Amino acid sequence: MRETIGNPVDRFDAPDKIGGRAAYAADLVFESMLHARTLRSVCPHAKILSIHVPELPRGYFVVDRRDVPGKNRVKMIADDQPFFAEELVRYIGEPILLIVGPDGGEIDRILSSIRVQYEILKPVLGIEEADSLGAEHRFVEYAIGKGRPEKAFAEASRVFEAEYRTGLQEHVYLETQGVVGTFDGDRVTVYGSLQCPYYVKSALVQGLGWSEDRVRVVQTTTGGAFGGKEDYPSIIAGHAAFAALKTGRPVRLVFDRHEDMRCTTKRHPSLIRIRTALDGRGTVSGVEVDIRLDGGAYEGLSSVVLQRAMFHCTGVYRFDDVRVGGQVLRTNTVPTGAFRGFGSPQAVFAIEMHMHSLAELLGEDPVDFKLKHLLRTGDSTVTGGTLRERVRMPEMVERALDMSGFRKKAQDFRRGNTDLTSDEAATAFAPAGRKLRGVGVSLFNHGCAFTGSGERDKIKAKVMLRKRADGTVEILTASAEFGQGPSTTLRKIVARTLGIPVSVVMCENPDTDRVPDSGPTVASRTVMIVGKLLERAARDLKAKWDSAPEVETRSEYEQPEYVQWDQEAFRGNAYPVYSWGANVVEVEVDPLTLETAVRGVWGVYDAGRAIDERILHGQLAGGVVQGLGYGAMEVMENGGGEVLQASLSDYMIPTSLDFPAVECALVENPFEHGPFGAKGAGELAFVGAAPALAAAVQSAIGLPLRRIPVTPEHLEEVTRGASSSRAQR
Amino acid sequence: MVSAFRPSALGEALSLMGERRGGRRLVPLAGGTDLMVRWKRSGGLAPALPCPVVFVGHLAELGDVRIEDGSRNAGGEGGAGRGARIRIGAACTFSFLLSHPAIPAPFKEIISRIASPAIRNRGTIGGNVCNASPAGDTLPYLYALDADALLQRSGGIRALPVRTLITGAGSTARQEDELLTSLEVPQAPFNVFFYRKVGARRANSCSKLSFLGLARVEGGVVADIRMCFGAVAPTVVRSPEIEESLKGREIREVREGIPRVVRSYEGLLKPIDDRRSVARYRMEISLRLLEHFLGFELRDGAAMQHNAVHNRAHGTLDEEQP
Amino acid sequence: MRLRLVLNGRELHTETDPLRRLLEVLREDFGLTGVKEGCGEGECGACMVFLDGRIVNSCLVPAGSVDGSEVVTIEGFKGTDRYRMLEQCFVEAGAVQCGFCAPGIVLAAEAILRENAVPGEEDIRRAISGNLCRCTGYGSIVEGVKLAARKGNGLW
Repeated sequence: MRETIGNPVDRFDAPDKIGGRAAYAADLVFESMLHARTLRSVCPHAKILSIHVPELPRGYFVVDRRDVPGKNRVKMIADDQPFFAEELVRYIGEPILLIVGPDGGEIDRILSSIRVQYEILKPVLGIEEADSLGAEHRFVEYAIGKGRPEKAFAEASRVFEAEYRTGLQEHVYLETQGVVGTFDGDRVTVYGSLQCPYYVKSALVQGLGWSEDRVRVVQTTTGGAFGGKEDYPSIIAGHAAFAALKTGRPVRLVFDRHEDMRCTTKRHPSLIRIRTALDGRGTVSGVEVDIRLDGGAYEGLSSVVLQRAMFHCTGVYRFDDVRVGGQVLRTNTVPTGAFRGFGSPQAVFAIEMHMHSLAELLGEDPVDFKLKHLLRTGDSTVTGGTLRERVRMPEMVERALDMSGFRKKAQDFRRGNTDLTSDEAATAFAPAGRKLRGVGVSLFNHGCAFTGSGERDKIKAKVMLRKRADGTVEILTASAEFGQGPSTTLRKIVARTLGIPVSVVMCENPDTDRVPDSGPTVASRTVMIVGKLLERAARDLKAKWDSAPEVETRSEYEQPEYVQWDQEAFRGNAYPVYSWGANVVEVEVDPLTLETAVRGVWGVYDAGRAIDERILHGQLAGGVVQGLGYGAMEVMENGGGEVLQASLSDYMIPTSLDFPAVECALVENPFEHGPFGAKGAGELAFVGAAPALAAAVQSAIGLPLRRIPVTPEHLEEVTRGASSSRAQR
Repeated sequence: MVSAFRPSALGEALSLMGERRGGRRLVPLAGGTDLMVRWKRSGGLAPALPCPVVFVGHLAELGDVRIEDGSRNAGGEGGAGRGARIRIGAACTFSFLLSHPAIPAPFKEIISRIASPAIRNRGTIGGNVCNASPAGDTLPYLYALDADALLQRSGGIRALPVRTLITGAGSTARQEDELLTSLEVPQAPFNVFFYRKVGARRANSCSKLSFLGLARVEGGVVADIRMCFGAVAPTVVRSPEIEESLKGREIREVREGIPRVVRSYEGLLKPIDDRRSVARYRMEISLRLLEHFLGFELRDGAAMQHNAVHNRAHGTLDEEQP
Repeated sequence: MRLRLVLNGRELHTETDPLRRLLEVLREDFGLTGVKEGCGEGECGACMVFLDGRIVNSCLVPAGSVDGSEVVTIEGFKGTDRYRMLEQCFVEAGAVQCGFCAPGIVLAAEAILRENAVPGEEDIRRAISGNLCRCTGYGSIVEGVKLAARKGNGLW
């Protein structure tokens, strides 16, 4: 049997990582290196009246806005965030200045002796408060629609409306943010833990006001990212660069966990209202969705997060008459940013719970109800694009139900739960082992790569391959390895295409001096877009293989013809293709403590084709557990603008004892424009877990859930007054 | 500059504890798992402890577990002077206690819920007691068993019930020149044990609330009963009066009296809202656990019923048979 | 304070602030950067080392505590046959993604295998419950340890 590309190969980066040899940012040592730490705002909203820095010992420096040679604005989609605060501070943790020097203890002492005088201004905290204050607290607002939803509502036999809420989520990449900035008299080089070397380079060029050839960015081994190192590193790269420039020495800026949790970007909290019209046949005839996201103090890339949330808010369903409105609100809290899923987890949670509740309302089976509305090939998406690909969801859902024993469990649990809760004395006097049980299912998809014409108009990805005289081939792209596997998968694509062993294909961490800009390592685009370009460059290289001892080939992105997108109106194919998935989660809720135990998790996924099955399974399992954390336990709150859970003992991410092994199955559905048919999977992995968990808990307790995380405290609130409450007896 | 000392024997440690260095008394450090976090500074820096430190974790005299027989009354009010007592050195780590045959199974159950393997390899029972956190995991058991704390100084030794030693959230009656050297835990025969620690996840989680119930039921009559609530007040909540009112009663009677008992404890629990949980949840669940203990767990049974009910990892949940 | 310790098999004498964290002593004084800081408060396990044969979080161990002790870091463990088996099995099981947790997890795996050469799923999960991993979801790590137990005939 011919070996398929998906057969796993040993990851190239694994031995160095396991053995502790891999060098992460905090491991780098440069001669005469100095350390930098940041003085940050302690007020959520204030005018800085004065800053008093005591006289510094020799060898110690202050670096602040006056040391920004170029523009004091961090280049992002919206350039509204300064490297260092100017007259105003807008969130607790906003950087004001750096203290740089040789000894960490001395830096600590200096920082605590700096006096900042603030004039306190009224902070705006929370979506509802910002919303009530009008346009100046709105970063962006969009509206899309199709068909005639007003007509559907006017003619509806029933209307059901509900509001869904999700909270902050912290990435908790195990390696905190870290960079080292150096200056050799002419050029600045920043080494760091990052996803997008070219984003950082552009930010440095803007901050320094220099030409591009004087700026170099090198990615170091990166210990996890999940989107948290997409936009944020540009800020600290700037800081380290300005400090290196001022001191003439290499400067290391590494966060400890507390600082990282207090100040770096997080997932946008959301408030999503969905209103659905039902016709006489129990089908959804019209949908209105209003999405509000909390952007924190600066806009950054929030506009695109909102877009993705809007383009995913109707889930995998076919609704012909839809109106979607969305806003990103400005609050005086830590700016929110990119995080695996990028707006779709919030949206998919809302629509999946809504569909589940609709089914319950109609007395229908939630799975059948969802399948009844499922998109099919040829259908029109919420942005009016045509779904070209084969949709294998019905069989994927069936497979997930089979793997999990869903249907029988749903039936048995319903009966069992009734027994438990109908007994007045049940919870107190039942054996501790009696539990409320539930199974939940989620159906979801994720648009692969950048929205609309982003690849063609913004990124314009370029890759290079270089055959060396010794017969090895080097991949030159800006793709960053941070655990998700491109340092192995991209090599496989090239090796396979060239027909050479994967061991002679080289791929180093990107250095902007050496690699072309193939775009950021985000949006589940690396295998699908960059991998495809490499496949093309490899075919080209194969044809030219013998033409010279050293051969270079390049490839540049070309948008497939069928992609039609109007960026002004948000109409057309929002994404070139979707990956699809179905999750089932089984839970037990303890009626005594209202703790939820997850007893089983299953997933069936269509990511086109696996380039490496082991790596793909790793992404899926990891994404699911991170998604279960989002749905069950990751509480991060803002108290007066301060992050209340800013340590790993207060912010709970899953441990090995919290969730069982995830059972995953893959379905093949090759995408002609993906390398070997592959599509994106990194974010797909995350999206479905929390909704499936919440649906399972909703089934277990028999009461609707409208927010995550589904904590025991929240369940106590929800079940208060219901028959299982002690107060009733 | 803060200094630290490493005595080679207990006598030397006690002598150091009696001194002042730079005007300050010394603070004992055994495992360091609390102190190193409480005083931590930003990454890469040594913790900024406010006083000089005396390392005691390595002292052999503090790392021992012994069973002492009945007759001696260790003094102090309330100590159960008769019956065997287990003397546990203050610097015994949680891991050490988990592997020691003399430590009773219920206490091991409780200790096994503390933090994680690496923390248990360093954290000590003495540290847990002196830290006196409202959520200290060993405290409910020590209160329930009327354990005594032995405090030593160069000049002598005194015993104090643990419930007297701990005076409030994070505060103890230990004098600055005293070292907690051991805990003495009287043994009593129980055949009912129920413990729930509710944390935010299944491992490595501080307690949001905990309930410990121990009893001896013979011939349908409650001969002995101890109930403690953790993390729902500045210190462990235990009411000997309420317990007394239940002793000698038949199980049936006890069950009829549950609402009254619940109302009594409701007045004693003082849970708060904090970063981890809310008062309402803590109160509600604590009382449900109490009700469950009295209404179900308290049963006639011959052998020790080991209801390991804090959910273990999926798949191997201990579902005890009624 | 003057300290004597056996570090990765070598006897050493050093002098340092006794309250400095063992983590810094290892990373800065001895260049053992395989020991990592992930949280500084004993929650994540990235700083894990063996201290007198038991796993501990080196971010919580003051240097003065280790006088006369034996410390083994990933750098010391990795020359052993057991390590090689674990590395091979971790790779085979897909147990490594970003790698930041990996050295700590390998030591935790060694700790359980020393105690129990044929650990079950629950034993392994409990043994690594003090090591946070954000990438893998733990399933592949558990498989890696099981694999090492199966293949490591006589190693443990």
